Amino acid sequence: MENMQNRMSWLKEHLRNEWQIYVMLAPTIIWFIVFLYKPMYGLQIAFKDYSIFRGVANSPWVGFEHFHTLFGSDQFLRAVKNTFMISMLSLCFGFPMPIILALMFNEITNQVFKKTAQTIVYLPHFISTVIIAGIVITAFSPSAGIVNTFLEWLGFESIYFLIKPEWFRPIFIGSGIWQEAGFSSIVFLAAIAGVSPSLYESAVVDGASRWQMMWKITLPAILPTIIIMLIIRIGNLLEVGFELIILLYQPSTYSTGDVINTLIYRQGLQGAQYDLAAAAGLFNATVAFVLVMTANTISKRYSRTSLW
Amino acid sequence: MAGVELKKIVKKYGNTQVVHGIDLVVEEKEFVVLVGPSGCAKSTTLRMVAGLEEITGGEITIDGRVCNTIAPKDRDVAMVFQNYALYPHLNVYENIAFGLRIRKEKKANIEASVEEVAEILGLTEYLERRPADLSGGQRQRVAMGRAIVRHPKVFLFDEPLSNLDAKLRTQMRAEIKRLHKRLGVTSIYVTHDQVEAMTLADRIVVMQDGRIEQIGTPMELFNNPVNTFVAGFIGSPPMNQIDAEVQKSSTGYFVEIDGAKIKLPKLKELEGAEGKTVVVGLRPEHFELGKVKGLNNLPVELDLVETLGSEALLHAMVANTPFVVKAETNGSIDHLEDISTVSINTDLIKVFDKETGLAMGHPTSTNS
Repeated sequence: MENMQNRMSWLKEHLRNEWQIYVMLAPTIIWFIVFLYKPMYGLQIAFKDYSIFRGVANSPWVGFEHFHTLFGSDQFLRAVKNTFMISMLSLCFGFPMPIILALMFNEITNQVFKKTAQTIVYLPHFISTVIIAGIVITAFSPSAGIVNTFLEWLGFESIYFLIKPEWFRPIFIGSGIWQEAGFSSIVFLAAIAGVSPSLYESAVVDGASRWQMMWKITLPAILPTIIIMLIIRIGNLLEVGFELIILLYQPSTYSTGDVINTLIYRQGLQGAQYDLAAAAGLFNATVAFVLVMTANTISKRYSRTSLW
Repeated sequence: MAGVELKKIVKKYGNTQVVHGIDLVVEEKEFVVLVGPSGCAKSTTLRMVAGLEEITGGEITIDGRVCNTIAPKDRDVAMVFQNYALYPHLNVYENIAFGLRIRKEKKANIEASVEEVAEILGLTEYLERRPADLSGGQRQRVAMGRAIVRHPKVFLFDEPLSNLDAKLRTQMRAEIKRLHKRLGVTSIYVTHDQVEAMTLADRIVVMQDGRIEQIGTPMELFNNPVNTFVAGFIGSPPMNQIDAEVQKSSTGYFVEIDGAKIKLPKLKELEGAEGKTVVVGLRPEHFELGKVKGLNNLPVELDLVETLGSEALLHAMVANTPFVVKAETNGSIDHLEDISTVSINTDLIKVFDKETGLAMGHPTSTNS
């Protein structure tokens, strides 16, 4: 009891002295509460027969019925498979790209060329997804698209890429890399900037070439950053950029392009099945949570680097 | 083993010249210390020897070979950096072996060399540890190990002890000295700490503003500083420097400081210098306490006695200038607090030209 009183008096004293820090922290906490924690209240509709007329509280409980429906649905299982496939392919091809770009930028000695190249690869990040989709659709158009024009110039027949399921994933992942790789490289460039120049100087005196320095100094030095970014990426593995998918896919490419989020969108918003969509979303979030926890634990154990 | 020669070395960054044509010969197996205040270009000079900075003019020769355009790796030098430059992701063994692996030495040779060096430096039991798990002194030793494992012709040290605490610095200083004696490799060592310079060097090079002020053995510099800068830089505490007007009496030249007549040594430059202002240099170590017959007696009013243990520093103001006398305590400072006069032998007094700062009667000229 006395211990509790001591703690309370310490807390009061602490708040009196350090209130400015908490005032600065307040907007972030409020944002989290309003936009992330309060909506969690609505998660319960995943276990209810939700009706917008009865509201969240008055809708009857149905237990795991929606989950049974989901796991019995071919569409959902296909969406789960597609989500994993697209995510894994994005991870394999998209994750290393910013690292490679950062390493390449670091090796460029001509400052004008370096800045120009950086600006060119950063720019797509600032373009709206709708415009990106427009560019992709135009580029892969079977009649006037630059890709097909090039293919025809080489003597091949033109391909209607965007209606062929086998081309959906490469186009989606490729355009994602084009849009984000440059901007994502900033984090790794910042990590590289933090490497002590004396490590390179010491290596130069020891006789290391630029290639050896990149492999033996730069890459290991930014490895903790790479791991942190990888954990974050794994946490967002199921958060496939569905805006671009919605803008690019069509019923003919659902077999390879329909992901959990687009299914939630179609069923939840377009089909007004909010409870089923909430169940799918909850499944998505649970898997993401497990993934990020697992990745963090593995990283902590084997590389001494972790998010927390 | 090899010597290093710097001929008229110039370094410019754009229009700013930071090294002004310095000449220096470091003999084979010699331990030369470049010392000077921050910004005097001592590190730049060392980096030019290593090849990490290009030279703007002049010639650098290592082991008789002109190295101006030779890449650092081909100069056969090894460098120890101020922040140790240890690779944080590699353990001690891998750090020491790094240079050998880069040069694609045989695995068995690498293993033997690393073990030998670890033995010399007392690192055998830490070979599996990473730098983050080592103390400052151990890290410093690893940095040394990385340098000596390649058996280079020249060691270059860039303020390697600056990041250590005072006790560890003293310990490591002795280890570096011992290592140099054992290996006998030509070494150039940069520091701003004159105590480090005095204790380590075979010869000291005092630098200021990209120029060499004086080159000599520690005792040469201590006993015969070429100018007021060197006099003030070498010695701890530094030499007391008091402005005074030269006067002449029947017995010779003297100055008057706070009413006391201080006889100056016989110097050719003092002839006809009556009325001229000179800087009188008095080493704190050269005083005797109290009045002593036959010596120059100087009245002092002490304002502070700093105890160092076996010695004490007596602080006073003389001729409106801070003045320090170093005295032995013999176990107590009680007898020091009442001191009102200190005495000095005329032969130990240095005289500098007030305008040029140069020492009068100095046996050698600068840039020897």
